[in-house]
Amino acid sequence: MRTRKLIAALAFAGASMLTSAAFADNYEIDGQHAWVTFTIKHGIYGIAHGQFDAVKGSIVMDKADVTKSSVKAEIDVGSIHTAFDQRDNDLKGPDFFNAAEFPAISFESTKVEKVDDKTGKVTGNLTISGVSKEVTLDVKLLNEAPAPWDATLTKAAFSATGKVSTADFPMAKAAGGFGLGPEVDIVIDLEAVKK
Amino acid sequence: MSAFFGNPMVTTAALPLLLGIVLAVIARPRPALPASSSVLTLAWSALLLFFYWDTLGPPAVPPVAASQKLIYLAFVGIGVGLLPARILSARTAGALAGVAVAAALFWLGWRRISGGALDLQMIAAIVAGALAIIGAAMLMSRTASVPPTVEEPFLAPAAVLATALSGAIISVLGASIVTGQLLGSLAAMTGGWCLVQYVATLRGSAAAPWSKGVEFLLLYANATVLIQVALLAPKANPAALILSPLPMIVAALAHGPLQGLLPGARSLRPLIAGILIAIPAILAILAAIVWAPHGAALGFS
Repeated sequence: MRTRKLIAALAFAGASMLTSAAFADNYEIDGQHAWVTFTIKHGIYGIAHGQFDAVKGSIVMDKADVTKSSVKAEIDVGSIHTAFDQRDNDLKGPDFFNAAEFPAISFESTKVEKVDDKTGKVTGNLTISGVSKEVTLDVKLLNEAPAPWDATLTKAAFSATGKVSTADFPMAKAAGGFGLGPEVDIVIDLEAVKK
Repeated sequence: MSAFFGNPMVTTAALPLLLGIVLAVIARPRPALPASSSVLTLAWSALLLFFYWDTLGPPAVPPVAASQKLIYLAFVGIGVGLLPARILSARTAGALAGVAVAAALFWLGWRRISGGALDLQMIAAIVAGALAIIGAAMLMSRTASVPPTVEEPFLAPAAVLATALSGAIISVLGASIVTGQLLGSLAAMTGGWCLVQYVATLRGSAAAPWSKGVEFLLLYANATVLIQVALLAPKANPAALILSPLPMIVAALAHGPLQGLLPGARSLRPLIAGILIAIPAILAILAAIVWAPHGAALGFS
């Protein structure tokens, strides 16, 4: 009798795990369709725009329980561009992103909250120049569907927005010295390939 | 007023020049304030920290990026600089300078070094760092002549001025503005000092020398900021980087083999020594300007 109960409990646990695993889908960020862009106040004038071209990472999306989802991404600092070479060099330099010493910016989620069926909040550690700060991104699932030209290729598209401050990272001179920011608005649009 | 002090040309050039002049006037030889006075070392330390704080901000705890480590290295230089004169003999000061600059090169650059990318800039940074180690050690280990030659009090200041000025221009043109400002402040401050001492020499007085302590803290600050530029400024010209620490070596040689090149005229000796010391710095500046990635357009984009 005891053995039968134990087997039943194990079977239930196994079934639960399988159900959970069945809902957690893995995706790989499609670097060719990823736009990590930012805007920052430029001195007393306007708004400056910039973009990172090289992004990679993975997403785990649990549709049954979104809070079990996670994101891990890495951005190549050297891929920054702002439509002006000299400024790109300045931004790669030690006054800002310090690419020679810290070639990558990373983000790793610690918490995912559901807002509604298509939107959520992803909180995680953003590491720039060796310093990690917690940031929260408002994320929207735009679509998930097989590619019209290849039924075996399924992609999900996400859009995310967030805010960081340059003062939180080793670029404190950005605001005081160069009159930039300090608030930086981030807009991320990316597609991820289902594995 | 705040706009005046917020102007980088004021804090990078005019203010440090003025403060260097004031300090030099205060330090003019008199029985009350000898060169070895720790009051002078403290005054230089205070000025140095003021400009570090102004350009790099307050110390970060713990320091992560190399730029955050610079102010801690300045504290190390000040700590050594404040050691009693009997401990900072020429031999000890030379050895300490070599070891301390080598340790700074490793601490500032370990992420770059462990990254393993041996590109042209990394090679230039290692060569510039090695030359800075040799230059600082040679300059610190020279012993004073008895009686001192007229150019002797100018050798270390001229080396700091030439190295810092070329480093500042290389840094700004190489896309590292903050270190450029810091080196610019060091150059202007030392320039103010040299100006007053040279005017005094022209008027027939003896120039006030730096103590070993002051020499150490200023050479060390100079060398460490220059190493940071060499390691991290993404567009710093490699040839210019290699040339920039050479004024320290030339200054040390001007106390020895190069002394024969100096004229006999009292007023010309410091001037010609200064020109000899400045030659590698002038070449470094020319290299940085001629091969500047975006032309010689100083300033943030």
